[in-house]
Amino acid sequence: MTDTAERAAMPPTSADAEVAVRDLTVCFDTDRGEKPAVSHANLTLPAGCITGLVGESGSGKSTLALSLLGAVPPPGRITSGSVTMTGVGEVTSLRGAKLRGVRGGYIGYVFQASQNSLNPLKTVGKQLLDLGRAHDVDDLAGLIRRARELCELMGMDGVRILDSYQHQLSGGMRQRVGIVFALVLNAKVLVLDEPTTALDMLSQAAVLRIIARVHREIGLTTLIVTHDMGVVSELADRLAVMYGGRIVEDGPATDVLQSPSHPYTRALINATARVSGDVTRARALPGRPPDLVSVPTEGCVFRDRCAFAMDVCSEAEPVLGSWSRDRRRACHADAETVTSA
Amino acid sequence: MIEAVGIERTFHGHGPFTGSHVVRALRGVDFTLPAGGAVAFIGESGCGKTTLGRILAGLETYDAGVLRVDGKDVSALSGRRRGELFRSIQMVHQDPYSVLNPTRTVAATLADPLRMVARRDAGGRGGFGGRGRDRGAVDRRARELLELVGLEPDGVLPKYPHQLSGGQRQRVVIARALTVDPRALIADEAVSMIDVSMRLGILSLLRDLRERLGIALVFITHDVATARYLGADGELHVIYRGEVIERGPVDTVIQSPVHPYTQCLLSAIPVLKGLEDPGPDRLEPLGLMDATVDTPGCLFEPRCPFATERCREEHPELLKQSVDGADVEHACFHPQIRHVAAVDLTHA
Repeated sequence: MTDTAERAAMPPTSADAEVAVRDLTVCFDTDRGEKPAVSHANLTLPAGCITGLVGESGSGKSTLALSLLGAVPPPGRITSGSVTMTGVGEVTSLRGAKLRGVRGGYIGYVFQASQNSLNPLKTVGKQLLDLGRAHDVDDLAGLIRRARELCELMGMDGVRILDSYQHQLSGGMRQRVGIVFALVLNAKVLVLDEPTTALDMLSQAAVLRIIARVHREIGLTTLIVTHDMGVVSELADRLAVMYGGRIVEDGPATDVLQSPSHPYTRALINATARVSGDVTRARALPGRPPDLVSVPTEGCVFRDRCAFAMDVCSEAEPVLGSWSRDRRRACHADAETVTSA
Repeated sequence: MIEAVGIERTFHGHGPFTGSHVVRALRGVDFTLPAGGAVAFIGESGCGKTTLGRILAGLETYDAGVLRVDGKDVSALSGRRRGELFRSIQMVHQDPYSVLNPTRTVAATLADPLRMVARRDAGGRGGFGGRGRDRGAVDRRARELLELVGLEPDGVLPKYPHQLSGGQRQRVVIARALTVDPRALIADEAVSMIDVSMRLGILSLLRDLRERLGIALVFITHDVATARYLGADGELHVIYRGEVIERGPVDTVIQSPVHPYTQCLLSAIPVLKGLEDPGPDRLEPLGLMDATVDTPGCLFEPRCPFATERCREEHPELLKQSVDGADVEHACFHPQIRHVAAVDLTHA
C-alpha cells in the first residue's frame, strides 16, 4: 500500500505510464449532428497504481474506458487522439485479430452490471472454455487451472464456482467471477466499470477488499470507473474527475478529496451523504448533469451549475493544466479561491 | 400513525432445483411511526426491509401480527375501507425510470389522481361544484405540487418521462404521491438510482415535506448515511433476516452502535480519504448471510466475531439500554459500544 502511495505521489511521467490517453475525442452521430461524448481527454494510468475515474451518468466515463479497448459502440467513433499502452503501442488503430489479442490478453474489462452478464444456460466453467477458444488458447486445462487460482485468490471455492450456474451465485460472487474472466488471460491492466452498483454495503466492502488484494498480488494497473466518491476513496491512489465529456481535475486521491481544486469536484464531495460531519454542511448541486445534446459547445461545460462562474467562463473553455505538483485542473477561477472555499 | 406488532411474513417457494423451501422474510417486527415522524430501516439485501415497506403500504399481506393505521386494525376492515385507509400511505419506489408511464405527460400523470380526489371530495359534500368539475382547480393543484417538489411547472407539465433526468423523475413520482394528500411516505431505496449530485436534493425534499407538511417518513435503504438527512429525531432500525436487532435515534446508533451486526454494516461504509479517518473499531462479518440456516439461537451468531455458546442456543430478545443518554434497544447477549463509523477530520 505504502509502495503504491509513494509512487502515486510522484508525477506521472510517460516512462512509468502503463496506459496513456492523449487528446482523445469520441463522437457520436446524433440526429442533431456529431456530438462529442469525450472531448480532448488526457489521462495517464501509472503502472501499478489504482486510478479512479469519477463522474455522473452521461459524463463520458464509460465511453472513455471503452475506448481503451477500442470498443466504443457505434455510432460512436474515435475522431482524434491516441491510446498508447506499454508493450502494445497505439491501440486505436488496431483491428481484427491483433485487437482481439489486446483485449483480454493485455487489458481485462469488467463490464457494468457484469453480475448480470453471465449466460444463464451454461456453467461458469463452460463459459471460460468458450472464452479460451475465442482467444485461440491451446492449453485449455491451464486456463481452467488459472481460473481456479484466481477464484481462490478472491476467497471462493474454485471447483464449486466453475461448476455453478449464475443463479447459484450471489451478486457479490458474480461480480468476482467477472473479475476472473477479465484476468484469466493474464491481463496486466484491469478496467472495472461501476464494480459495486447494485451491491449492498457489506458485499460492496467485500468486493472492494478483493479488488485491492488482486491488484496488489498480481501487480496490475487498475482503472475503476464509478460515480461513487466512497468507492474511489477507499481504493484509488489517483483520482480523475469527469464532467460533460471533459476531465476537469486529476491528482493523488487524498489530495483531491481533501482540497478539491475544481468547483465540480468540490460540489460533488459536498453533495455526498456521509456518516461523519455536520449534516447541515452538505449541499445538493443545483441543476442537472448535461447529456450529449445539452452540453455547452462554447465556454466551460460546468458554468451553469458553478458557484464560481465568471464572464470568461461562457466565452473560453478552460484547459486542463498543471497548477500544483502532480495535480491538474480545468477551471478559470483561481485555484487558491476554490480549494479554500 | 402506524403501529405494527409482531408482523410476520413467510414466503413458500418451489423451484425446479431447490424443491419447496420456506423463506421467513419477517419474524415478528414491532414498531411505531408517530404522525410526522421518521423511521429508517437498514439492512443488507434479503433482510426483509422491502417486504416490510410493502406491507406498510398495503401492497403485501402478512401472516401474523397486528398492523394498525390511525388506531384501526387493518385486517378487521372491509376491502374498501382498507383501501381508503392505505391511501394516506404512499410509496416512493427505487426506480424512477420504470414507475412512470412513458406514454403520458407529467400533466396527465398528475391530473388523474387529482380528479379522483376532487370527485371524492365533491361526493363527500354531497353536491356539485367540487374540484372535479373545475379543470382549473386540478391544473392549479398540479402546479402547486410541482412547485412543492422543487420543479418548475411550465417546463415540466408538458414533458414525457424520458425528457426528464432521474432526479426530476423522482420528484414527479413524489408529486404524484402527494396528489392524494398522504400522511406518510414509504421510500424504498428512493435515491439509490439517482445521480450523486442530486441525491441530497431528494433527501432534503423529503425532510422539507416532513417539516412543513408533517408527512411521516419510512425510509428503507442499505446506505446508512442517507438516513441522517431526514431531519431531527429520526429513528434507525437495523434489520437482519427479518428481525429488528437494534434501534434508536439515528445519530446514537451510527456513533455508538452496540450490536455487532450494526457495527459490521457501519464498518462497510467507505471512508473518504483525507476528510475522514476510519473508525477505530472497524469490524468485518464472518462469511455471508445464509438465509437457509435456521437456528434456535441468535440469527447473526454464524457470522458474529464475538459469538459464544449462549448465542448458539438461546435467542436474544430486544432489550432497552441507555447509550450516550439516549434510549436504544438491541438484541444481543454481549452488547458493547464500538466506534466503527468514520470520524470527520475537517471539523474535529
